Amino acid sequence: MSGELAAQRHGTARAPALRSRPGLGAIMVTGLAALVLWVACYLSLPALSRWITADVLGLRRGTALASAVEFFVFEAPKVLLLLALVVFAVGVVRTFFTPERTRRVLAGTREPVGTVLAALLGVVTPFCSCSAVPLFIGFVTTGVPLGVTFSFLVAAPMVNEVALVLLLGLFGWKVAAVYMGTGLAIAMVSGWVIGRLGMERHVEEWVYDVTGTPAGADASPTDWPGRVRTGVATVGEIVGKVWPYVLAGIAVGAGIHGWVPTNFMASLMGRGAWWAVPLAVLIGIPMYSNAAGIIPIVEALLEKGAALGTVLAFMMAVIGLSLPETVILRKVLRPRLIATFIGVVGAGILVVGYVFNFLF
Amino acid sequence: MEDNVKTVEILGSGCARCEETYRVVRHVVEEAGLACEVVKVESYQRMAQLGVMATPAVAIDGGVVLAGRVPKAEEIRQLLGLR
Repeated sequence: MSGELAAQRHGTARAPALRSRPGLGAIMVTGLAALVLWVACYLSLPALSRWITADVLGLRRGTALASAVEFFVFEAPKVLLLLALVVFAVGVVRTFFTPERTRRVLAGTREPVGTVLAALLGVVTPFCSCSAVPLFIGFVTTGVPLGVTFSFLVAAPMVNEVALVLLLGLFGWKVAAVYMGTGLAIAMVSGWVIGRLGMERHVEEWVYDVTGTPAGADASPTDWPGRVRTGVATVGEIVGKVWPYVLAGIAVGAGIHGWVPTNFMASLMGRGAWWAVPLAVLIGIPMYSNAAGIIPIVEALLEKGAALGTVLAFMMAVIGLSLPETVILRKVLRPRLIATFIGVVGAGILVVGYVFNFLF
Repeated sequence: MEDNVKTVEILGSGCARCEETYRVVRHVVEEAGLACEVVKVESYQRMAQLGVMATPAVAIDGGVVLAGRVPKAEEIRQLLGLR
């Protein structure tokens, strides 16, 4: 039913389209054409950025300005292209996972297994921090243990699919794997610790008094044309929202690329500075940015000699622990549980930062 | 059939997407001249009662019909039985 709905929704522009919904074949042909176009655009970027910098703008190679401009002209379309592709794929994958289905899976689990499962599901279940409270209530009132719920709530924003694939595109699979692995580990350990601390009484009382039906609507499509449409709609929604942040982030990155001397960051954020990791976490927690906006800054910092662990800690603190989400969660959590949540996750990020600075 | 609908609830904690959903529903209801009530609900108790775990959500006469995204006007028209 929901698939038909989605199909008809998109048929509004052309009235007769209601009857002739594109089938799987048409979608595959269009998808293939789009993919070929995408690859062609992506591959032509290096030449295009050099051409714009040197020939169109007439900047002399080797100057700081030329270097910054070329960085921007190359990175901006590249990041936006990657973003569109990833957000589409994630949009499609997420039609298979809804909060309701995830809740049903987790409600039957015990702590160690549940904690691991919750972190993994946190990555693929659609989640927006504005839904954190209803989701929290839905979980804890239907038998999902508190620690398991937190494992989900930590992983969902922290292991961000946009961040993951941007890291993959910009730094290679090792950094991406490290980010994903450590992010999941922090979520699992935090959830486990909060579960062990037995903090159920630090949840606001009214939450447990709520009598609800755990039978929320699953409004996601169940057929392939519907899933693809959802993916396209997600691209429009997310890329349409984050592109200014991405461009701003890349502009900052370009500035650092062009003017900040190499190894400038080595003394400030390098491996030798032991205080760099806690400082990065402390600065990162109150900051709020989406993953797409923070990555170009991360790239520029790394290039100028900042240590991987420090940068990773900074990034995780920014996207994983955000002030707005904490304020929202205060509605259902008492201050001590909020403090524990920030403390445990912050400590996890700190450990990850130090371990990586030590290893790499 | 559409005369049977009494209340449409838009559930969400006041984020931009929830406001947008409210606007879409109001637009459809006013355009069709329906007599039903359109309410914006920010109560977490109510969301839990209806089993809403993703916002914005839309409930028609106490039944959740849509959750976790901003609907198109056409979709709301269909859900209200206007087509």
